[in-house]
Amino acid sequence: MTTRPILLVEDNPDDVSLTLRALKKNHILNDVTVAYDGAEALECLFKEDSGGRTSYGLVLLDLKLPKVDGLEVLRRMRADEHTQTTPVVILTSSGLEEDIAAGYHDGANAFVRKPVNFGEFAVAINTLGMFWLLLNETVPE
Amino acid sequence: MTHLQFLAAIVVSASEDAIVGKTVDGVITSWNPAAERIFGYTEQEVIGRPQSFMCPPELAGEFAEIVGRISRGESVPQGDTVRRRKDGTTFPASVSVSLIRSEDGTLMGVSSITRDITEQRKRADRLLEANKSLLEANKNLEAFTYSVSHDLRAPLRALSGFSEALLEDYGDVLDEQGQEYAKRIRAASEQMATLIDDLLHLSRVARAELHPQWVDLGTEAARIAEELQNHEPDRNVHFAIERPVRVRADRTLIRTVLENLLGNAWKFTSGRDEASIEFGTRPTGDGTICCYVRDNGAGFDPQYVGKLFTPFQRLHTTREFPGTGVGLASVQAIVARHGGRAWAEGAVGEGATFFFTLDTKEPK
Repeated sequence: MTTRPILLVEDNPDDVSLTLRALKKNHILNDVTVAYDGAEALECLFKEDSGGRTSYGLVLLDLKLPKVDGLEVLRRMRADEHTQTTPVVILTSSGLEEDIAAGYHDGANAFVRKPVNFGEFAVAINTLGMFWLLLNETVPE
Repeated sequence: MTHLQFLAAIVVSASEDAIVGKTVDGVITSWNPAAERIFGYTEQEVIGRPQSFMCPPELAGEFAEIVGRISRGESVPQGDTVRRRKDGTTFPASVSVSLIRSEDGTLMGVSSITRDITEQRKRADRLLEANKSLLEANKNLEAFTYSVSHDLRAPLRALSGFSEALLEDYGDVLDEQGQEYAKRIRAASEQMATLIDDLLHLSRVARAELHPQWVDLGTEAARIAEELQNHEPDRNVHFAIERPVRVRADRTLIRTVLENLLGNAWKFTSGRDEASIEFGTRPTGDGTICCYVRDNGAGFDPQYVGKLFTPFQRLHTTREFPGTGVGLASVQAIVARHGGRAWAEGAVGEGATFFFTLDTKEPK
Protein backbone atom coordinates (compact mmCIF):
# COMPACT_ATOMS: atom_id res chain seq x y z
CA MET A 1 0.00 0.00 0.00
CA THR A 2 1.34 3.42 -0.87
CA THR A 3 1.12 5.86 1.95
CA ARG A 4 0.03 9.32 1.16
CA PRO A 5 1.78 12.30 2.72
CA ILE A 6 0.39 14.46 5.49
CA LEU A 7 0.01 18.20 5.04
CA LEU A 8 0.67 20.15 8.21
CA VAL A 9 -0.57 23.73 7.98
CA GLU A 10 0.87 25.64 10.90
CA ASP A 11 2.60 29.02 11.17
CA ASN A 12 4.21 28.58 14.55
CA PRO A 13 7.59 26.78 14.29
CA ASP A 14 7.33 25.54 17.89
CA ASP A 15 3.97 23.97 17.15
CA VAL A 16 5.36 22.48 13.93
CA SER A 17 8.18 20.90 15.87
CA LEU A 18 5.88 19.59 18.61
CA THR A 19 3.41 18.22 16.08
CA LEU A 20 6.13 16.43 14.11
CA ARG A 21 7.31 14.94 17.37
CA ALA A 22 3.78 13.82 18.24
CA LEU A 23 3.39 12.15 14.84
CA LYS A 24 6.63 10.29 15.38
CA LYS A 25 5.58 9.29 18.89
CA ASN A 26 2.35 7.97 17.46
CA HIS A 27 4.37 5.90 14.99
CA ILE A 28 2.98 7.76 12.04
CA LEU A 29 5.80 7.75 9.55
CA ASN A 30 4.20 9.28 6.49
CA ASP A 31 6.01 12.11 4.75
CA VAL A 32 4.96 15.45 6.17
CA THR A 33 4.80 18.60 4.10
CA VAL A 34 4.67 21.77 6.18
CA ALA A 35 2.84 24.86 4.94
CA TYR A 36 3.50 27.93 7.05
CA ASP A 37 0.49 29.95 5.95
CA GLY A 38 -2.88 29.48 4.27
CA ALA A 39 -1.71 30.54 0.84
CA GLU A 40 1.12 28.03 0.96
CA ALA A 41 -1.36 25.36 2.01
CA LEU A 42 -3.60 26.12 -0.97
CA GLU A 43 -0.60 25.91 -3.27
CA CYS A 44 0.36 22.51 -1.85
CA LEU A 45 -3.21 21.27 -2.22
CA PHE A 46 -4.03 22.60 -5.67
CA LYS A 47 -0.70 22.87 -7.47
CA GLU A 48 -0.49 20.76 -10.64
CA ASP A 49 2.92 19.44 -11.60
CA SER A 50 4.12 16.72 -13.98
CA GLY A 51 2.85 13.99 -11.65
CA GLY A 52 -0.52 15.70 -11.26
CA ARG A 53 -1.68 16.94 -7.90
CA THR A 54 -0.33 15.69 -4.64
CA SER A 55 -3.01 13.73 -2.88
CA TYR A 56 -2.73 14.05 0.89
CA GLY A 57 -3.85 11.34 3.29
CA LEU A 58 -4.49 13.83 6.06
CA VAL A 59 -4.44 17.57 6.55
CA LEU A 60 -3.62 18.98 9.97
CA LEU A 61 -4.94 22.50 9.90
CA ASP A 62 -4.35 25.41 12.24
CA LEU A 63 -7.11 28.03 12.19
CA LYS A 64 -5.37 31.35 12.63
CA LEU A 65 -2.94 31.60 9.78
CA PRO A 66 -1.22 34.39 7.88
CA LYS A 67 -2.67 35.37 4.47
CA VAL A 68 -5.52 32.85 4.17
CA ASP A 69 -7.08 31.58 7.40
CA GLY A 70 -7.69 27.93 8.21
CA LEU A 71 -11.45 27.95 7.73
CA GLU A 72 -11.00 29.46 4.27
CA VAL A 73 -8.52 26.71 3.38
CA LEU A 74 -11.08 24.18 4.59
CA ARG A 75 -13.84 25.81 2.55
CA ARG A 76 -11.72 25.76 -0.58
CA MET A 77 -10.84 22.12 0.02
CA ARG A 78 -14.47 21.16 0.46
CA ALA A 79 -15.45 23.01 -2.70
CA ASP A 80 -12.97 21.05 -4.80
CA GLU A 81 -13.73 17.49 -5.85
CA HIS A 82 -10.16 16.29 -5.38
CA THR A 83 -9.95 17.41 -1.77
CA GLN A 84 -13.61 17.14 -0.84
CA THR A 85 -13.16 13.96 1.15
CA THR A 86 -9.59 14.44 2.39
CA PRO A 87 -9.67 14.04 6.17
CA VAL A 88 -8.99 17.33 7.95
CA VAL A 89 -8.09 17.57 11.61
CA ILE A 90 -8.32 21.08 13.00
CA LEU A 91 -5.62 22.00 15.46
CA THR A 92 -7.22 24.31 18.02
CA SER A 93 -5.42 26.38 20.58
CA SER A 94 -8.42 26.99 22.85
CA GLY A 95 -11.91 25.84 23.66
CA LEU A 96 -13.08 29.14 22.24
CA GLU A 97 -11.55 28.30 18.90
CA GLU A 98 -13.17 24.92 18.98
CA ASP A 99 -16.53 26.65 19.43
CA ILE A 100 -15.86 28.92 16.51
CA ALA A 101 -14.81 26.06 14.29
CA ALA A 102 -17.62 23.77 15.42
CA GLY A 103 -20.08 26.34 14.19
CA TYR A 104 -18.68 25.81 10.78
CA HIS A 105 -20.87 23.32 8.98
CA ASP A 106 -18.85 22.04 6.06
CA GLY A 107 -16.84 20.80 8.88
CA ALA A 108 -13.62 19.30 9.75
CA ASN A 109 -13.39 15.63 10.59
CA ALA A 110 -11.93 16.12 14.04
CA PHE A 111 -10.44 18.58 16.46
CA VAL A 112 -7.21 18.18 18.35
CA ARG A 113 -6.21 20.67 20.94
CA LYS A 114 -2.64 21.90 20.80
CA PRO A 115 -0.07 20.98 21.92
CA VAL A 116 -0.83 17.84 20.07
CA ASN A 117 -1.58 15.46 22.84
CA PHE A 118 -0.68 11.87 21.98
CA GLY A 119 -3.83 10.39 23.42
CA GLU A 120 -6.11 12.90 21.74
CA PHE A 121 -4.21 12.50 18.54
CA ALA A 122 -4.60 8.73 18.56
CA VAL A 123 -8.33 9.12 19.28
CA ALA A 124 -8.73 11.53 16.40
CA ILE A 125 -6.90 9.25 13.98
CA ASN A 126 -8.93 6.31 15.24
CA THR A 127 -12.18 8.17 14.88
CA LEU A 128 -11.29 8.89 11.32
CA GLY A 129 -10.59 5.22 10.77
CA MET A 130 -7.32 6.29 9.34
CA PHE A 131 -4.77 3.86 10.65
CA TRP A 132 -4.84 2.02 7.36
CA LEU A 133 -4.04 5.25 5.55
CA LEU A 134 -1.08 6.00 7.68
CA LEU A 135 2.02 3.90 8.04
CA ASN A 136 2.17 2.43 11.48
CA GLU A 137 5.17 0.80 12.92
CA THR A 138 3.98 -2.61 13.92
CA VAL A 139 6.35 -2.77 16.84
CA PRO A 140 6.57 0.33 19.00
CA GLU A 141 10.10 1.45 19.77
CA MET B 1 -66.52 82.87 27.25
CA THR B 2 -67.65 79.91 29.26
CA HIS B 3 -65.61 78.63 32.17
CA LEU B 4 -64.49 75.66 30.04
CA GLN B 5 -63.40 77.87 27.17
CA PHE B 6 -61.53 80.03 29.65
CA LEU B 7 -59.65 76.99 30.98
CA ALA B 8 -58.92 75.79 27.46
CA ALA B 9 -57.51 79.20 26.58
CA ILE B 10 -55.19 79.09 29.60
CA VAL B 11 -53.98 75.62 28.65
CA VAL B 12 -53.33 76.72 25.07
CA SER B 13 -51.43 79.84 26.06
CA ALA B 14 -49.39 78.02 28.71
CA SER B 15 -48.54 75.10 26.46
CA GLU B 16 -44.91 74.32 25.67
CA ASP B 17 -46.02 73.13 22.23
CA ALA B 18 -47.05 75.35 19.37
CA ILE B 19 -50.84 75.12 19.09
CA VAL B 20 -52.10 76.62 15.87
CA GLY B 21 -55.70 76.95 14.72
CA LYS B 22 -56.46 76.94 11.01
CA THR B 23 -59.37 76.96 8.67
CA VAL B 24 -60.09 73.80 6.73
CA ASP B 25 -58.07 75.34 3.86
CA GLY B 26 -55.06 75.95 6.08
CA VAL B 27 -55.34 79.68 6.84
CA ILE B 28 -54.03 80.52 10.31
CA THR B 29 -56.71 81.58 12.80
CA SER B 30 -54.92 81.30 16.15
CA TRP B 31 -51.28 81.28 17.26
CA ASN B 32 -50.28 80.60 20.86
CA PRO B 33 -47.22 82.02 22.69
CA ALA B 34 -45.31 78.74 22.24
CA ALA B 35 -45.88 78.99 18.47
CA GLU B 36 -44.44 82.47 18.62
CA ARG B 37 -41.39 81.21 20.49
CA ILE B 38 -40.87 78.10 18.36
CA PHE B 39 -41.46 79.61 14.90
CA GLY B 40 -40.32 83.20 15.65
CA TYR B 41 -43.40 84.90 14.14
CA THR B 42 -45.71 87.08 16.21
CA GLU B 43 -49.43 86.41 16.21
CA GLN B 44 -50.03 89.58 14.13
CA GLU B 45 -47.60 88.40 11.46
CA VAL B 46 -49.38 85.13 10.78
CA ILE B 47 -53.09 85.41 11.44
CA GLY B 48 -54.91 85.22 8.13
CA ARG B 49 -51.89 83.81 6.26
CA PRO B 50 -51.83 80.38 4.63
CA GLN B 51 -49.88 77.90 6.73
CA SER B 52 -47.29 77.03 4.06
CA PHE B 53 -44.63 79.38 5.54
CA MET B 54 -44.31 76.97 8.50
CA CYS B 55 -42.70 74.30 6.45
CA PRO B 56 -39.59 74.18 4.23
CA PRO B 57 -40.43 74.65 0.52
CA GLU B 58 -39.41 71.10 -0.38
CA LEU B 59 -42.08 69.78 2.00
CA ALA B 60 -44.84 72.07 0.75
CA GLY B 61 -46.66 69.04 -0.60
CA GLU B 62 -47.18 67.85 2.95
CA PHE B 63 -49.64 70.60 3.74
CA ALA B 64 -51.48 70.07 0.48
CA GLU B 65 -51.85 66.42 1.43
CA ILE B 66 -53.09 67.27 4.92
CA VAL B 67 -55.63 69.71 3.50
CA GLY B 68 -56.69 67.05 1.03
CA ARG B 69 -57.17 64.45 3.74
CA ILE B 70 -59.15 66.84 5.86
CA SER B 71 -61.45 67.86 3.06
CA ARG B 72 -62.13 64.19 2.38
CA GLY B 73 -62.97 63.80 6.06
CA GLU B 74 -60.01 61.50 6.77
CA SER B 75 -57.95 61.66 9.94
CA VAL B 76 -54.37 62.87 9.83
CA PRO B 77 -51.86 60.63 11.55
CA GLN B 78 -49.37 62.09 13.96
CA GLY B 79 -45.88 62.14 12.57
CA ASP B 80 -42.37 63.47 12.72
CA THR B 81 -41.42 65.96 10.06
CA VAL B 82 -39.46 69.19 9.56
CA ARG B 83 -40.69 72.74 10.18
CA ARG B 84 -39.23 76.14 9.32
CA ARG B 85 -38.62 79.12 11.58
CA LYS B 86 -38.92 82.76 10.59
CA ASP B 87 -35.14 83.03 10.17
CA GLY B 88 -35.22 80.27 7.57
CA THR B 89 -33.66 77.62 9.80
CA THR B 90 -35.44 74.32 10.17
CA PHE B 91 -36.02 71.95 13.08
CA PRO B 92 -37.30 68.41 13.53
CA ALA B 93 -40.89 68.47 14.73
CA SER B 94 -43.54 66.12 15.93
CA VAL B 95 -46.91 67.24 14.59
CA SER B 96 -50.40 66.07 15.42
CA VAL B 97 -53.44 67.45 13.70
CA SER B 98 -57.01 67.29 14.96
CA LEU B 99 -60.25 68.38 13.40
CA ILE B 100 -62.46 70.94 15.09
CA ARG B 101 -66.17 70.30 14.67
CA SER B 102 -69.17 72.23 15.85
CA GLU B 103 -71.77 70.59 18.05
CA ASP B 104 -73.77 69.45 15.02
CA GLY B 105 -70.62 67.88 13.51
CA THR B 106 -69.82 70.49 10.90
CA LEU B 107 -66.09 70.77 10.24
CA MET B 108 -65.04 74.17 11.58
CA GLY B 109 -61.31 74.04 11.25
CA VAL B 110 -58.13 72.31 12.15
CA SER B 111 -55.84 72.49 15.15
CA SER B 112 -52.26 71.39 14.99
CA ILE B 113 -49.86 70.79 17.85
CA THR B 114 -46.22 71.09 16.92
CA ARG B 115 -43.43 70.09 19.23
CA ASP B 116 -39.82 71.01 18.60
CA ILE B 117 -38.04 67.68 19.06
CA THR B 118 -34.49 68.94 18.44
CA GLU B 119 -33.39 68.04 21.98
CA GLN B 120 -35.16 64.69 21.85
CA ARG B 121 -33.44 63.94 18.57
CA LYS B 122 -30.07 64.92 20.00
CA ARG B 123 -30.62 62.63 22.98
CA ALA B 124 -31.69 59.79 20.71
CA ASP B 125 -28.66 60.40 18.49
CA ARG B 126 -26.38 60.42 21.50
CA LEU B 127 -27.91 57.14 22.67
CA LEU B 128 -27.46 55.64 19.23
CA GLU B 129 -23.90 56.87 19.16
CA ALA B 130 -23.23 55.44 22.62
CA ASN B 131 -24.81 52.17 21.58
CA LYS B 132 -22.67 52.07 18.48
CA SER B 133 -19.47 52.61 20.40
CA LEU B 134 -20.59 49.98 22.91
CA LEU B 135 -21.08 47.49 20.10
CA GLU B 136 -17.71 48.49 18.75
CA ALA B 137 -16.14 48.00 22.18
CA ASN B 138 -17.79 44.61 22.44
CA LYS B 139 -16.43 43.63 19.06
CA ASN B 140 -12.97 44.72 20.16
CA LEU B 141 -13.41 42.64 23.27
CA GLU B 142 -14.28 39.62 21.16
CA ALA B 143 -11.17 40.17 19.09
CA PHE B 144 -9.13 40.67 22.23
CA THR B 145 -10.53 37.51 23.78
CA TYR B 146 -9.74 35.53 20.67
CA SER B 147 -6.28 36.99 20.50
CA VAL B 148 -5.64 36.19 24.17
CA SER B 149 -6.83 32.67 23.73
CA HIS B 150 -4.73 32.15 20.66
CA ASP B 151 -1.60 34.25 20.93
CA LEU B 152 -0.91 34.00 24.65
CA ARG B 153 -1.29 30.27 24.53
CA ALA B 154 1.27 29.73 21.79
CA PRO B 155 4.37 30.40 23.92
CA LEU B 156 2.82 28.37 26.74
CA ARG B 157 2.40 25.42 24.43
CA ALA B 158 6.07 25.65 23.59
CA LEU B 159 7.02 25.81 27.28
CA SER B 160 4.85 22.91 28.21
CA GLY B 161 5.48 20.87 25.07
CA PHE B 162 9.25 21.18 25.06
CA SER B 163 9.63 20.61 28.80
CA GLU B 164 7.61 17.44 28.29
CA ALA B 165 9.79 16.51 25.31
CA LEU B 166 12.84 17.17 27.46
CA LEU B 167 11.54 14.84 30.16
CA GLU B 168 10.53 12.12 27.74
CA ASP B 169 13.40 12.21 25.28
CA TYR B 170 16.26 13.27 27.56
CA GLY B 171 14.99 12.15 30.94
CA ASP B 172 17.83 9.68 31.19
CA VAL B 173 20.53 12.33 30.85
CA LEU B 174 18.92 14.67 33.39
CA ASP B 175 19.56 14.03 37.04
CA GLU B 176 16.73 14.17 39.55
CA GLN B 177 17.08 17.89 40.09
CA GLY B 178 17.14 18.57 36.34
CA GLN B 179 13.98 16.53 35.90
CA GLU B 180 12.36 18.40 38.79
CA TYR B 181 13.11 21.73 37.10
CA ALA B 182 11.62 20.58 33.81
CA LYS B 183 8.55 19.38 35.68
CA ARG B 184 8.21 22.76 37.34
CA ILE B 185 8.38 24.54 33.99
CA ARG B 186 5.66 22.27 32.69
CA ALA B 187 3.47 22.69 35.78
CA ALA B 188 3.84 26.47 35.72
CA SER B 189 2.94 26.75 32.07
CA GLU B 190 -0.05 24.51 32.58
CA GLN B 191 -1.12 26.65 35.53
CA MET B 192 -0.94 29.72 33.33
CA ALA B 193 -2.93 28.00 30.62
CA THR B 194 -5.62 27.30 33.23
CA LEU B 195 -5.56 30.96 34.29
CA ILE B 196 -6.06 32.10 30.72
CA ASP B 197 -8.89 29.61 30.23
CA ASP B 198 -10.60 30.77 33.41
CA LEU B 199 -10.21 34.39 32.43
CA LEU B 200 -11.71 33.67 29.03
CA HIS B 201 -14.51 31.78 30.70
CA LEU B 202 -15.22 34.74 32.94
CA SER B 203 -15.37 37.13 30.01
CA ARG B 204 -17.72 34.80 28.16
CA VAL B 205 -19.98 34.49 31.19
CA ALA B 206 -20.21 38.26 31.35
CA ARG B 207 -21.24 38.51 27.71
CA ALA B 208 -23.22 35.33 27.09
CA GLU B 209 -26.81 35.70 25.98
CA LEU B 210 -29.26 34.66 28.70
CA HIS B 211 -31.91 32.05 27.97
CA PRO B 212 -34.06 32.07 31.11
CA GLN B 213 -36.18 29.03 31.88
CA TRP B 214 -37.53 27.31 34.97
CA VAL B 215 -34.77 25.35 36.65
CA ASP B 216 -34.88 23.26 39.81
CA LEU B 217 -31.67 24.20 41.56
CA GLY B 218 -32.15 21.32 44.01
CA THR B 219 -31.98 18.75 41.22
CA GLU B 220 -28.97 20.47 39.67
CA ALA B 221 -27.22 20.64 43.05
CA ALA B 222 -27.87 16.94 43.66
CA ARG B 223 -26.38 16.09 40.28
CA ILE B 224 -23.28 18.15 40.94
CA ALA B 225 -22.92 16.57 44.39
CA GLU B 226 -23.04 13.15 42.76
CA GLU B 227 -20.37 14.13 40.24
CA LEU B 228 -18.12 15.42 43.01
CA GLN B 229 -18.62 12.24 45.00
CA ASN B 230 -17.93 10.05 41.95
CA HIS B 231 -14.78 11.98 41.26
CA GLU B 232 -13.42 11.41 44.76
CA PRO B 233 -15.25 8.33 46.07
CA ASP B 234 -12.98 8.03 49.12
CA ARG B 235 -14.18 11.23 50.69
CA ASN B 236 -16.91 11.14 53.29
CA VAL B 237 -19.13 14.17 52.75
CA HIS B 238 -22.69 14.55 53.92
CA PHE B 239 -24.87 16.53 51.53
CA ALA B 240 -28.18 18.09 52.58
CA ILE B 241 -29.97 19.43 49.53
CA GLU B 242 -33.31 21.20 49.53
CA ARG B 243 -35.56 20.43 46.59
CA PRO B 244 -37.29 21.56 44.63
CA VAL B 245 -35.93 25.08 44.43
CA ARG B 246 -37.56 26.48 41.34
CA VAL B 247 -36.05 29.63 39.85
CA ARG B 248 -36.07 31.36 36.51
CA ALA B 249 -32.55 31.37 35.19
CA ASP B 250 -30.26 30.45 32.35
CA ARG B 251 -29.66 26.75 32.99
CA THR B 252 -26.04 26.59 31.81
CA LEU B 253 -25.00 29.70 33.68
CA ILE B 254 -26.82 28.97 36.90
CA ARG B 255 -25.32 25.50 36.86
CA THR B 256 -21.90 27.17 36.69
CA VAL B 257 -22.84 29.07 39.86
CA LEU B 258 -23.74 25.86 41.68
CA GLU B 259 -20.70 24.02 40.33
CA ASN B 260 -18.45 26.76 41.64
CA LEU B 261 -20.09 27.05 45.04
CA LEU B 262 -20.48 23.31 45.63
CA GLY B 263 -17.04 22.66 44.16
CA ASN B 264 -15.57 25.22 46.56
CA ALA B 265 -17.43 23.70 49.50
CA TRP B 266 -16.11 20.29 48.47
CA LYS B 267 -12.58 21.62 48.15
CA PHE B 268 -12.52 23.59 51.40
CA THR B 269 -13.93 20.73 53.47
CA SER B 270 -11.17 18.39 52.31
CA GLY B 271 -9.52 18.58 55.73
CA ARG B 272 -12.71 17.57 57.62
CA ASP B 273 -13.31 14.02 58.71
CA GLU B 274 -17.02 14.66 58.80
CA ALA B 275 -17.59 17.18 56.09
CA SER B 276 -21.07 18.49 55.50
CA ILE B 277 -22.36 20.62 52.68
CA GLU B 278 -25.81 22.11 52.58
CA PHE B 279 -27.79 23.68 49.76
CA GLY B 280 -30.94 25.47 50.81
CA THR B 281 -33.01 28.60 50.69
CA ARG B 282 -34.26 31.11 53.16
CA PRO B 283 -37.28 33.35 52.88
CA THR B 284 -36.92 36.94 51.75
CA GLY B 285 -40.50 38.16 51.47
CA ASP B 286 -39.77 40.39 48.48
CA GLY B 287 -40.44 38.08 45.53
CA THR B 288 -36.83 36.99 45.28
CA ILE B 289 -35.39 33.75 46.51
CA CYS B 290 -32.25 33.59 48.59
CA CYS B 291 -30.20 30.43 48.08
CA TYR B 292 -27.17 29.42 50.05
CA VAL B 293 -24.40 26.86 50.02
CA ARG B 294 -23.01 26.21 53.48
CA ASP B 295 -20.07 24.07 54.47
CA ASN B 296 -18.14 23.25 57.64
CA GLY B 297 -14.78 23.62 55.94
CA ALA B 298 -11.79 25.90 56.30
CA GLY B 299 -13.83 29.09 56.21
CA PHE B 300 -12.19 32.47 55.70
CA ASP B 301 -11.23 35.58 57.60
CA PRO B 302 -14.26 37.91 57.35
CA GLN B 303 -11.86 40.83 57.20
CA TYR B 304 -11.09 39.82 53.60
CA VAL B 305 -14.64 39.07 52.54
CA GLY B 306 -14.51 41.92 50.02
CA LYS B 307 -11.72 40.20 48.12
CA LEU B 308 -13.58 36.93 47.69
CA PHE B 309 -15.47 37.90 44.56
CA THR B 310 -12.62 39.73 42.86
CA PRO B 311 -11.03 37.85 39.94
CA PHE B 312 -7.70 36.20 40.74
CA GLN B 313 -7.94 37.11 44.42
CA ARG B 314 -7.42 34.14 46.68
CA LEU B 315 -7.56 33.87 50.44
CA HIS B 316 -5.65 30.61 50.50
CA THR B 317 -2.34 29.62 48.98
CA THR B 318 -2.48 27.13 46.14
CA ARG B 319 -0.48 24.82 48.39
CA GLU B 320 -3.39 24.74 50.87
CA PHE B 321 -6.15 24.66 48.28
CA PRO B 322 -5.69 24.71 44.50
CA GLY B 323 -7.53 27.19 42.33
CA THR B 324 -7.20 30.25 40.16
CA GLY B 325 -9.52 32.64 41.96
CA VAL B 326 -11.97 33.03 39.13
CA GLY B 327 -14.83 30.82 40.33
CA LEU B 328 -16.46 33.29 42.70
CA ALA B 329 -15.94 36.15 40.26
CA SER B 330 -17.92 34.10 37.74
CA VAL B 331 -20.60 33.43 40.38
CA GLN B 332 -20.86 37.14 41.05
CA ALA B 333 -21.05 38.00 37.35
CA ILE B 334 -23.70 35.36 36.60
CA VAL B 335 -25.87 36.25 39.59
CA ALA B 336 -25.62 39.95 38.72
CA ARG B 337 -26.68 39.20 35.16
CA HIS B 338 -29.77 37.54 36.59
CA GLY B 339 -30.53 40.69 38.59
CA GLY B 340 -29.46 39.13 41.87
CA ARG B 341 -26.72 39.61 44.40
CA ALA B 342 -24.07 37.32 45.90
CA TRP B 343 -22.30 37.56 49.23
CA ALA B 344 -20.56 35.41 51.79
CA GLU B 345 -20.33 34.85 55.53
CA GLY B 346 -17.75 32.83 57.35
CA ALA B 347 -14.98 32.60 59.90
CA VAL B 348 -11.61 30.89 59.92
CA GLY B 349 -12.04 27.21 60.77
CA GLU B 350 -15.81 27.54 61.07
CA GLY B 351 -16.93 27.01 57.51
CA ALA B 352 -18.43 29.40 55.03
CA THR B 353 -21.86 30.22 53.66
CA PHE B 354 -22.33 31.67 50.22
CA PHE B 355 -25.63 33.36 49.45
CA PHE B 356 -27.17 34.45 46.20
CA THR B 357 -30.55 35.89 45.34
CA LEU B 358 -32.60 35.26 42.23
CA ASP B 359 -35.91 36.53 41.05
CA THR B 360 -38.63 33.93 41.37
CA LYS B 361 -42.35 33.83 41.20
CA GLU B 362 -43.69 30.32 41.41
CA PRO B 363 -44.25 28.86 37.95
CA LYS B 364 -47.86 28.58 36.92
